[in-house]
Amino acid sequence: MSVYALQKLIRDVNRKPDCRDAYFQSAAEFAASYDLTADERAALLGMNIRALYAMGVHGLLLRPFTLLRQMPEGDYLKAIRGD
Amino acid sequence: MTISFACAVSHAPGMTAWAEAAPPPQRDCINNGFERLRGELDASGTEVLILLTSEHWTNFFLDHIGAFCVGRAASYRGPIEPWLQIDKAEVKGDPEIAAELLEASYDEGVEPGFAYELEFDHGTMVPLHFLAPRMDRPVVPVFFNTLAAPQPSARRCLAFGRVIGKVAARSPRRIGLIATGGLSHDPGERNHGVIDIEFDQKFMAAMAGGEVKRLARYARSEFAAAGAGAFELLSWVALAGALDGRKGETIVYEAVRPWATGIGMMSFPPAVAA
Repeated sequence: MSVYALQKLIRDVNRKPDCRDAYFQSAAEFAASYDLTADERAALLGMNIRALYAMGVHGLLLRPFTLLRQMPEGDYLKAIRGD
Repeated sequence: MTISFACAVSHAPGMTAWAEAAPPPQRDCINNGFERLRGELDASGTEVLILLTSEHWTNFFLDHIGAFCVGRAASYRGPIEPWLQIDKAEVKGDPEIAAELLEASYDEGVEPGFAYELEFDHGTMVPLHFLAPRMDRPVVPVFFNTLAAPQPSARRCLAFGRVIGKVAARSPRRIGLIATGGLSHDPGERNHGVIDIEFDQKFMAAMAGGEVKRLARYARSEFAAAGAGAFELLSWVALAGALDGRKGETIVYEAVRPWATGIGMMSFPPAVAA
Protein backbone atom coordinates (compact mmCIF):
# COMPACT_ATOMS: atom_id res chain seq x y z
CA MET A 1 0.00 0.00 0.00
CA SER A 2 2.98 2.27 0.44
CA VAL A 3 3.09 2.81 -3.31
CA TYR A 4 0.02 4.86 -2.54
CA ALA A 5 2.16 7.40 -0.69
CA LEU A 6 4.68 7.42 -3.52
CA GLN A 7 1.96 8.07 -6.09
CA LYS A 8 0.43 10.71 -3.83
CA LEU A 9 3.74 12.53 -3.64
CA ILE A 10 4.15 12.45 -7.42
CA ARG A 11 0.58 13.58 -8.01
CA ASP A 12 1.05 16.44 -5.53
CA VAL A 13 4.19 17.58 -7.37
CA ASN A 14 2.41 17.34 -10.71
CA ARG A 15 -0.75 19.15 -9.64
CA LYS A 16 0.10 21.57 -6.83
CA PRO A 17 2.44 24.48 -7.51
CA ASP A 18 3.43 24.83 -3.83
CA CYS A 19 4.39 21.16 -3.66
CA ARG A 20 6.28 21.43 -6.95
CA ASP A 21 8.29 24.36 -5.64
CA ALA A 22 9.07 22.55 -2.40
CA TYR A 23 10.09 19.40 -4.26
CA PHE A 24 12.45 21.26 -6.56
CA GLN A 25 13.89 23.18 -3.64
CA SER A 26 14.73 20.00 -1.72
CA ALA A 27 13.35 16.68 -2.89
CA ALA A 28 14.68 14.93 0.19
CA GLU A 29 13.01 17.34 2.61
CA PHE A 30 9.79 17.28 0.64
CA ALA A 31 9.75 13.47 0.55
CA ALA A 32 10.22 13.28 4.31
CA SER A 33 6.58 14.15 4.89
CA TYR A 34 5.37 11.11 2.91
CA ASP A 35 5.36 7.57 4.27
CA LEU A 36 7.76 6.02 1.75
CA THR A 37 9.73 2.82 2.03
CA ALA A 38 13.51 3.06 1.82
CA ASP A 39 13.43 1.64 -1.73
CA GLU A 40 10.77 4.09 -2.84
CA ARG A 41 12.66 6.99 -1.35
CA ALA A 42 15.88 5.92 -3.05
CA ALA A 43 14.15 5.49 -6.42
CA LEU A 44 12.46 8.85 -6.11
CA LEU A 45 15.54 10.80 -5.07
CA GLY A 46 17.65 9.00 -7.67
CA MET A 47 15.03 9.60 -10.37
CA ASN A 48 15.21 5.89 -11.11
CA ILE A 49 12.27 5.83 -13.51
CA ARG A 50 12.57 2.15 -14.22
CA ALA A 51 12.28 1.34 -10.52
CA LEU A 52 9.42 3.79 -9.96
CA TYR A 53 7.47 2.23 -12.80
CA ALA A 54 8.21 -1.30 -11.60
CA MET A 55 6.92 -0.34 -8.16
CA GLY A 56 3.56 0.43 -9.75
CA VAL A 57 3.47 4.18 -10.30
CA HIS A 58 0.76 4.85 -12.88
CA GLY A 59 2.02 5.96 -16.28
CA LEU A 60 -0.18 9.04 -16.31
CA LEU A 61 1.45 10.13 -13.05
CA LEU A 62 4.99 9.13 -13.92
CA ARG A 63 5.20 10.53 -17.44
CA PRO A 64 4.01 14.04 -16.46
CA PHE A 65 6.43 13.88 -13.51
CA THR A 66 9.34 13.21 -15.86
CA LEU A 67 8.18 16.01 -18.15
CA LEU A 68 8.81 18.46 -15.29
CA ARG A 69 12.48 17.58 -15.86
CA GLN A 70 12.11 17.66 -19.66
CA MET A 71 12.85 13.96 -20.05
CA PRO A 72 12.52 13.05 -23.75
CA GLU A 73 9.85 10.51 -24.63
CA GLY A 74 12.39 8.03 -26.00
CA ASP A 75 14.39 8.07 -22.78
CA TYR A 76 11.25 7.64 -20.71
CA LEU A 77 10.04 4.66 -22.75
CA LYS A 78 13.48 3.09 -22.68
CA ALA A 79 13.48 3.41 -18.89
CA ILE A 80 10.05 1.92 -18.22
CA ARG A 81 10.58 -0.88 -20.73
CA GLY A 82 13.89 -1.75 -19.13
CA ASP A 83 15.68 -1.55 -22.48
CA MET B 1 -38.17 15.02 -26.84
CA THR B 2 -35.65 12.86 -28.64
CA ILE B 3 -31.95 13.18 -27.93
CA SER B 4 -31.10 16.14 -30.14
CA PHE B 5 -27.50 15.30 -30.95
CA ALA B 6 -25.12 12.45 -30.25
CA CYS B 7 -21.53 11.81 -31.17
CA ALA B 8 -18.43 10.03 -29.92
CA VAL B 9 -14.95 11.44 -30.40
CA SER B 10 -11.40 10.89 -29.23
CA HIS B 11 -9.63 13.56 -27.20
CA ALA B 12 -5.88 12.98 -27.60
CA PRO B 13 -3.97 16.05 -26.36
CA GLY B 14 -1.90 16.02 -29.54
CA MET B 15 -5.02 17.10 -31.43
CA THR B 16 -4.33 20.61 -30.23
CA ALA B 17 -0.95 20.61 -28.46
CA TRP B 18 1.09 19.07 -31.25
CA ALA B 19 -1.42 18.97 -34.06
CA GLU B 20 1.24 19.73 -36.67
CA ALA B 21 3.04 16.48 -35.86
CA ALA B 22 0.28 14.48 -37.57
CA PRO B 23 0.53 13.88 -41.31
CA PRO B 24 -1.52 16.60 -43.10
CA PRO B 25 -3.98 14.14 -44.71
CA GLN B 26 -4.84 12.68 -41.31
CA ARG B 27 -5.07 16.10 -39.73
CA ASP B 28 -7.35 17.34 -42.51
CA CYS B 29 -9.57 14.30 -42.18
CA ILE B 30 -9.93 14.86 -38.43
CA ASN B 31 -10.52 18.60 -38.78
CA ASN B 32 -13.18 17.92 -41.42
CA GLY B 33 -14.79 15.39 -39.12
CA PHE B 34 -14.99 17.91 -36.31
CA GLU B 35 -16.34 20.52 -38.70
CA ARG B 36 -19.12 18.19 -39.76
CA LEU B 37 -20.02 17.30 -36.19
CA ARG B 38 -19.93 20.94 -35.15
CA GLY B 39 -22.37 21.72 -37.98
CA GLU B 40 -24.67 18.93 -36.86
CA LEU B 41 -24.56 20.17 -33.29
CA ASP B 42 -25.26 23.77 -34.27
CA ALA B 43 -28.15 22.71 -36.52
CA SER B 44 -29.67 20.52 -33.82
CA GLY B 45 -30.74 23.37 -31.55
CA THR B 46 -29.18 21.54 -28.62
CA GLU B 47 -29.51 23.57 -25.41
CA VAL B 48 -27.51 21.42 -23.01
CA LEU B 49 -24.74 18.90 -23.53
CA ILE B 50 -24.24 15.89 -21.31
CA LEU B 51 -20.58 15.11 -21.76
CA LEU B 52 -19.55 11.53 -20.98
CA THR B 53 -15.88 11.91 -20.31
CA SER B 54 -12.79 10.87 -18.41
CA GLU B 55 -9.99 12.70 -16.68
CA HIS B 56 -6.34 12.14 -15.98
CA TRP B 57 -5.76 12.43 -12.22
CA THR B 58 -7.01 16.01 -12.42
CA ASN B 59 -9.87 15.94 -9.91
CA PHE B 60 -9.71 12.44 -8.55
CA PHE B 61 -6.96 10.47 -6.88
CA LEU B 62 -6.69 7.20 -5.02
CA ASP B 63 -7.66 8.89 -1.74
CA HIS B 64 -11.27 8.89 -2.94
CA ILE B 65 -12.50 7.58 -6.24
CA GLY B 66 -15.81 6.24 -7.48
CA ALA B 67 -17.04 4.66 -10.69
CA PHE B 68 -18.96 7.70 -11.96
CA CYS B 69 -19.18 11.34 -10.98
CA VAL B 70 -21.80 13.84 -12.17
CA GLY B 71 -20.81 17.51 -12.16
CA ARG B 72 -23.48 19.76 -10.69
CA ALA B 73 -21.57 23.03 -10.67
CA ALA B 74 -22.84 26.27 -12.20
CA SER B 75 -19.53 26.58 -14.07
CA TYR B 76 -16.22 24.86 -14.65
CA ARG B 77 -12.73 26.00 -15.59
CA GLY B 78 -10.29 24.43 -18.00
CA PRO B 79 -7.99 23.33 -19.34
CA ILE B 80 -5.57 22.72 -16.49
CA GLU B 81 -2.74 22.04 -18.95
CA PRO B 82 -0.95 25.28 -19.89
CA TRP B 83 0.62 23.53 -22.88
CA LEU B 84 -2.61 22.31 -24.48
CA GLN B 85 -2.92 25.31 -26.82
CA ILE B 86 -6.51 25.85 -25.79
CA ASP B 87 -7.27 29.15 -24.07
CA LYS B 88 -8.41 28.87 -20.48
CA ALA B 89 -12.16 29.31 -20.37
CA GLU B 90 -15.15 29.17 -18.11
CA VAL B 91 -17.70 26.59 -19.21
CA LYS B 92 -21.25 26.94 -17.97
CA GLY B 93 -22.76 24.02 -16.12
CA ASP B 94 -26.39 23.04 -15.72
CA PRO B 95 -27.14 22.11 -12.10
CA GLU B 96 -30.82 21.49 -12.90
CA ILE B 97 -30.16 18.78 -15.49
CA ALA B 98 -27.41 17.38 -13.28
CA ALA B 99 -29.89 17.05 -10.40
CA GLU B 100 -32.44 15.37 -12.67
CA LEU B 101 -29.82 12.94 -13.87
CA LEU B 102 -28.76 12.10 -10.32
CA GLU B 103 -32.29 11.62 -9.04
CA ALA B 104 -33.22 9.43 -12.00
CA SER B 105 -30.06 7.38 -11.58
CA TYR B 106 -30.67 6.74 -7.90
CA ASP B 107 -34.29 5.85 -8.64
CA GLU B 108 -33.12 3.32 -11.23
CA GLY B 109 -30.46 1.71 -9.07
CA VAL B 110 -27.30 3.38 -10.35
CA GLU B 111 -25.62 5.61 -7.78
CA PRO B 112 -22.99 7.93 -9.27
CA GLY B 113 -21.07 10.32 -7.06
CA PHE B 114 -21.44 14.02 -7.60
CA ALA B 115 -19.30 17.12 -7.25
CA TYR B 116 -19.86 20.86 -7.11
CA GLU B 117 -16.25 21.59 -8.01
CA LEU B 118 -14.50 20.04 -10.98
CA GLU B 119 -11.77 21.19 -13.31
CA PHE B 120 -11.52 20.16 -16.92
CA ASP B 121 -8.40 18.74 -18.52
CA HIS B 122 -7.82 17.83 -22.15
CA GLY B 123 -10.27 14.95 -21.87
CA THR B 124 -13.13 17.43 -21.74
CA MET B 125 -11.65 20.58 -23.24
CA VAL B 126 -10.44 19.05 -26.53
CA PRO B 127 -13.92 17.95 -27.64
CA LEU B 128 -15.46 21.22 -26.45
CA HIS B 129 -12.77 23.21 -28.26
CA PHE B 130 -13.67 21.57 -31.56
CA LEU B 131 -17.40 21.05 -31.16
CA ALA B 132 -18.52 24.07 -29.13
CA PRO B 133 -15.63 26.53 -29.39
CA ARG B 134 -17.59 29.48 -28.00
CA MET B 135 -17.96 27.47 -24.76
CA ASP B 136 -21.41 29.02 -24.38
CA ARG B 137 -23.54 25.88 -24.30
CA PRO B 138 -24.14 24.53 -20.78
CA VAL B 139 -22.49 21.23 -20.05
CA VAL B 140 -23.19 18.48 -17.53
CA PRO B 141 -19.96 16.50 -17.25
CA VAL B 142 -20.17 12.86 -16.28
CA PHE B 143 -16.78 11.42 -15.40
CA PHE B 144 -15.99 7.72 -15.67
CA ASN B 145 -13.20 6.19 -13.63
CA THR B 146 -10.95 4.86 -16.36
CA LEU B 147 -7.66 5.05 -14.43
CA ALA B 148 -7.87 3.11 -11.19
CA ALA B 149 -8.75 -0.56 -11.15
CA PRO B 150 -11.37 -1.78 -10.92
CA GLN B 151 -12.96 0.38 -13.55
CA PRO B 152 -16.74 0.05 -13.90
CA SER B 153 -17.83 -2.81 -16.11
CA ALA B 154 -19.12 -2.18 -19.61
CA ARG B 155 -22.41 -3.72 -18.53
CA ARG B 156 -22.73 -1.19 -15.73
CA CYS B 157 -21.80 1.70 -18.02
CA LEU B 158 -24.46 0.58 -20.45
CA ALA B 159 -27.04 0.54 -17.64
CA PHE B 160 -26.00 4.01 -16.51
CA GLY B 161 -26.17 5.17 -20.11
CA ARG B 162 -29.76 3.95 -20.38
CA VAL B 163 -30.70 6.22 -17.48
CA ILE B 164 -28.88 9.14 -19.09
CA GLY B 165 -30.79 8.49 -22.30
CA LYS B 166 -34.14 8.46 -20.49
CA VAL B 167 -33.40 11.74 -18.75
CA ALA B 168 -32.36 13.35 -22.01
CA ALA B 169 -35.33 12.00 -23.92
CA ARG B 170 -37.98 13.09 -21.43
CA SER B 171 -36.58 16.55 -20.83
CA PRO B 172 -38.50 19.48 -22.33
CA ARG B 173 -35.11 20.92 -23.22
CA ARG B 174 -33.05 19.80 -26.19
CA ILE B 175 -30.26 17.67 -24.78
CA GLY B 176 -27.30 16.41 -26.75
CA LEU B 177 -24.79 13.74 -25.77
CA ILE B 178 -21.07 13.61 -26.41
CA ALA B 179 -18.96 10.62 -25.43
CA THR B 180 -15.23 11.16 -25.50
CA GLY B 181 -12.06 9.11 -25.11
CA GLY B 182 -10.11 6.30 -26.76
CA LEU B 183 -9.60 4.55 -28.93
CA SER B 184 -6.62 2.22 -28.41
CA HIS B 185 -3.67 3.91 -26.73
CA ASP B 186 -1.38 3.29 -23.79
CA PRO B 187 -0.26 6.70 -22.57
CA GLY B 188 2.77 6.72 -20.32
CA GLU B 189 2.83 2.92 -20.27
CA ARG B 190 5.02 0.26 -21.86
CA ASN B 191 3.02 0.08 -25.07
CA HIS B 192 2.87 3.82 -25.59
CA GLY B 193 2.67 4.33 -29.34
CA VAL B 194 1.00 1.00 -30.08
CA ILE B 195 -2.35 1.39 -31.86
CA ASP B 196 -4.58 -1.68 -32.18
CA ILE B 197 -6.42 -0.96 -35.40
CA GLU B 198 -8.32 -4.24 -35.37
CA PHE B 199 -9.66 -3.62 -31.86
CA ASP B 200 -10.62 -0.07 -32.76
CA GLN B 201 -12.47 -1.05 -35.91
CA LYS B 202 -14.37 -3.88 -34.24
CA PHE B 203 -15.39 -1.61 -31.39
CA MET B 204 -16.56 1.12 -33.75
CA ALA B 205 -18.47 -1.43 -35.83
CA ALA B 206 -20.34 -2.52 -32.70
CA MET B 207 -21.08 1.13 -31.90
CA ALA B 208 -22.24 1.80 -35.46
CA GLY B 209 -24.58 -1.16 -35.36
CA GLY B 210 -26.04 -0.20 -32.00
CA GLU B 211 -24.98 -3.64 -30.77
CA VAL B 212 -25.61 -3.01 -27.11
CA LYS B 213 -25.38 -6.67 -26.11
CA ARG B 214 -21.93 -7.01 -27.62
CA LEU B 215 -20.80 -3.72 -26.13
CA ALA B 216 -21.99 -4.79 -22.69
CA ARG B 217 -19.86 -7.93 -22.98
CA TYR B 218 -16.58 -6.07 -23.46
CA ALA B 219 -14.36 -7.30 -20.65
CA ARG B 220 -11.83 -5.24 -18.74
CA SER B 221 -9.17 -7.52 -20.18
CA GLU B 222 -10.20 -6.56 -23.73
CA PHE B 223 -9.87 -2.86 -23.00
CA ALA B 224 -6.60 -3.41 -21.14
CA ALA B 225 -5.15 -5.32 -24.08
CA ALA B 226 -5.82 -2.30 -26.30
CA GLY B 227 -3.95 -0.05 -23.87
CA ALA B 228 -4.74 1.66 -20.60
CA GLY B 229 -6.40 4.52 -22.47
CA ALA B 230 -8.90 2.18 -24.11
CA PHE B 231 -10.85 2.12 -20.84
CA GLU B 232 -12.01 5.59 -21.85
CA LEU B 233 -14.30 3.79 -24.29
CA LEU B 234 -16.55 3.00 -21.34
CA SER B 235 -18.08 6.41 -22.01
CA TRP B 236 -18.85 5.32 -25.56
CA VAL B 237 -20.55 2.21 -24.19
CA ALA B 238 -22.66 4.44 -21.95
CA LEU B 239 -23.58 6.50 -25.01
CA ALA B 240 -24.73 3.32 -26.76
CA GLY B 241 -26.89 2.61 -23.71
CA ALA B 242 -28.37 6.09 -23.87
CA LEU B 243 -29.15 5.69 -27.56
CA ASP B 244 -30.68 2.25 -26.97
CA GLY B 245 -29.75 0.65 -30.26
CA ARG B 246 -29.69 3.75 -32.43
CA LYS B 247 -27.33 3.14 -35.30
CA GLY B 248 -24.43 5.41 -36.05
CA GLU B 249 -21.97 6.35 -38.70
CA THR B 250 -18.21 6.28 -38.51
CA ILE B 251 -17.01 9.64 -39.76
CA VAL B 252 -13.32 9.23 -39.06
CA TYR B 253 -10.91 6.54 -38.10
CA GLU B 254 -7.23 7.31 -38.26
CA ALA B 255 -4.36 5.61 -36.46
CA VAL B 256 -2.35 8.73 -35.74
CA ARG B 257 1.17 7.62 -34.77
CA PRO B 258 2.49 11.03 -33.65
CA TRP B 259 -0.47 11.29 -31.27
CA ALA B 260 0.02 7.64 -30.24
CA THR B 261 -3.73 7.07 -30.45
CA GLY B 262 -6.40 5.54 -32.63
CA ILE B 263 -8.59 8.53 -33.38
CA GLY B 264 -12.27 7.93 -34.05
CA MET B 265 -15.36 10.03 -34.58
CA MET B 266 -18.91 8.81 -34.88
CA SER B 267 -22.24 10.49 -35.39
CA PHE B 268 -25.61 9.11 -34.26
CA PRO B 269 -28.18 11.34 -35.93
CA PRO B 270 -31.85 10.92 -34.98
CA ALA B 271 -32.67 10.46 -38.68
CA VAL B 272 -31.16 6.99 -38.70
CA ALA B 273 -32.82 5.86 -35.48
CA ALA B 274 -33.37 2.12 -35.39
